[in-house]
This record gives sequence, structure tokens and C-alpha cells, in this order.
Amino acid sequence: LLSRSERLETLLDRIAGRDRAAFRELYDAVSAKLLGLTHRILRDRAQAEDALQETFLKIWHNAAAYDPASGRPIAWMAAIAHNTAIDAVRRRREVLSRTAEEGDELMASVVDPGSQGPDGADREALRRCLDGLDPAHRDCIVLAYCGGYSRQELAERFDKPVGTVKTWLHRGLALLKTCLGG
Amino acid sequence: VADDKDSLAGEYVLGTLAAEERAEVARRMLADHELAAAVTAWQRRLAPFADSAAELAPSAGLLAAIEARLDAPAAATPRAPAMAAAEVTALRRRVSFWRGTTAGAAALAACLAVAVVAAPYWLAPSQGGHFVGMVSRDGGLPAMIVEVDTAEGTVSVRSVTAAAPSGRSLELWYVAEGRAPLSVGLIERAGATLRFPTGGLPGFIPASATFAVTEEPQGGAPEGKPTGPVIFSGKLIPAPD
Repeated sequence: LLSRSERLETLLDRIAGRDRAAFRELYDAVSAKLLGLTHRILRDRAQAEDALQETFLKIWHNAAAYDPASGRPIAWMAAIAHNTAIDAVRRRREVLSRTAEEGDELMASVVDPGSQGPDGADREALRRCLDGLDPAHRDCIVLAYCGGYSRQELAERFDKPVGTVKTWLHRGLALLKTCLGG
Repeated sequence: VADDKDSLAGEYVLGTLAAEERAEVARRMLADHELAAAVTAWQRRLAPFADSAAELAPSAGLLAAIEARLDAPAAATPRAPAMAAAEVTALRRRVSFWRGTTAGAAALAACLAVAVVAAPYWLAPSQGGHFVGMVSRDGGLPAMIVEVDTAEGTVSVRSVTAAAPSGRSLELWYVAEGRAPLSVGLIERAGATLRFPTGGLPGFIPASATFAVTEEPQGGAPEGKPTGPVIFSGKLIPAPD
């Protein structure tokens, strides 16, 4: 029996050979996860689906470059989806206002111990290290990565100058890196 | 890694840089392996966050819309100004794979005159959207054949006669107009084919791209920048139907 990662690897391999059936199978397997990810950042269904389209086109064109030694296939695809959504949110002209409640909900969904995927151990380590940070630094990192918050939006949420937020981000990242073993 | 470089990589992955700063980091990563490695490391550290995203079913018809765009030439594919770091590093890994194999033995005189020969009989029949380049020297037999299929979004580089002098490596570079050369891989032995997506070549326009081969220390240019003499170079031409 193949593991989920092995199954996805096989699909990416077939997609590299321009196999449409494999592409549809991959879409069925991961599109809901990746859309959840782009939607969490863009908070707009149409824009999130546009980012999902771009993500799958990139997967189609770059499947041959995926290397199993570099990590799980879902992590590779999630990184592409994340990067695509962040590019889109940073290019976006209009600013969608963010309520404090939305940020609180997002924090709760990320920081609460929940599902134990194959990354359970890694996720646990990340959560433990986040807990060691100054709460404001931790929230900045989580809201930026998971929610697509800009420095400006973080500054508004915490009612601090943008420069302070930048310092918090750098300090938080440095401590996180040390805690996770460099 | 210097602290400021690591902060920059961390903020790039977090997503807090402005659009122009992101594009600048993506450009720098191509020449700065240290920065690219720092970005990859941050992607790995923060990857577990992805698991916490709740699933959201896409609209019916989205797959069909995507499939309709698969056949469009890669150039028409919307591409973020900054290529996903995951894609860049995937290309780098491919390069290191090539570095792992043993270099050929036949000697090649360095610093030979460079010439591009486009002998029609070398062009295999091909469909539209194909570009072919012969990378050669002195008008002799082609050393390498570069084929680009814009429909497939792939570049294939077949080494015909190229072989590195003992203890040296031949490195293939892609040079987009106005940009620094980007290492594509090492030419290990005659007959080998290197294939990779055009998505790995930033700013790729077949008609203006140059491919060049330099002689480098074994294992490739240490800094990711060409150091040795240019042995071959060539541009691409549209392949006749």
C-alpha cells in the first residue's frame, strides 16, 4: 500500500510526462487543501481561485523539477500555492480591511493543537518554539505567514509603528530559528 | 548566513515584504546561492503551518478552466514576477545532481573561437513553438543541441561532442538579455540530455536567450558565476516546420 506522499510523488512523476489523467487525480487530491491555503491569505474567493489556477499551472509546468529528497510533495505544492497567494496579496491595490476578530480566529486555528498529519512532530516543534516567543512577536509571524498580513496591517492591529513591527518580525524569526535548531 | 540576509529571507517567506522587495529578492536568489538556501530553509521551518489550513472545495468548473490553459504556450502562462522559491531551488537541486556524476575525460582546448552554426540538416522536423540552437565552435560539428518546446514549456540540452578536460567541468549557462548568467547544469558526457522546465529560466524569451558553456573547476563554478573561458555559445532560432 502506498503512502499518501508516495501516491502524490507518483502523480507528479506522471504529470512531468504530460499525463492529464494524473493531473486530474492530483487536482482531486490536493485542490481543497491548497484553496484553503490561498483563501486564508487572500480572503476573497475569486482571487483565491485565481491563485489556485496559477498554482496548478505552475505544478503542471514544473512537475519535472520536484525532487522527493527535498521534502514531501504536499509541502512543495503548498510552498508554490503560498508564494503565489502572497505575490497576489502584495500586488493587490485595494486593501481589504481586517477586523481584530478575524485575526483572533486565525490565531486560534493555527496555534490550537489540532490535527496530527504526517508533519505532526515538525508541527509540534514549531508550536513549542512559537510558544517561547513574546506573544506579540509570535502573533505577527503567524498572521503574516498564514493570513497574508502586511507590515502595515500588523502595525494597525498592534497599534505600533511599522518600524516596530519590522523589529518584532526580525527578533521573532531569529529566536524561532535558534529554537528550531538553526 | 549573515543576520540581515537571513532576516530578508525570513521576511520573504513570511510574505511581509512589499511587492517590489519580493521581486528584488527573487532576482537576487538566482545569483546568490546563500540567499536561496536561506529562503529554502525558512520554507522548511514554516511548512508545518500549511497543515492548519482548513480545506475549501473549489468551484465546479475550475479544473476545466485550468485544463483549458495547460496547452497554452508557457510564455502565456501567468507567472508571478517572482518565481516561487520552491521552483528555483528545484532547479538548483537538478544542477547539484549533475554535479554528482563524473566528468568526461577527453581534452578540450580552452578559449577556442566561438561560432554559432545553424546547419539545417541538423534540425529535426518539429512543430510550431519549437526553437533549436546549435552550440558549436569553429563551424565544426555541433557540441550541443538546445531544443525549446514552448508548448510543453521544456528545454532539452543534448550534449553531442562536448567533453571536459581532465579535472575540469563544463558548465552550461543561460543568459537572458540584460541579466547575469544563470547556471543550468554541468555537461558531464557526450550523449547526455539535460531537460528542465522553461519555468526555471527567468525572463525566458527564446529568440533572445543565449546559452553558453564555460570551462570551470571540477564540480562547477564555486560562486555560481562563470569564472572560466567561454568555450561555446549560441542563440536559439525558430525551428522550421
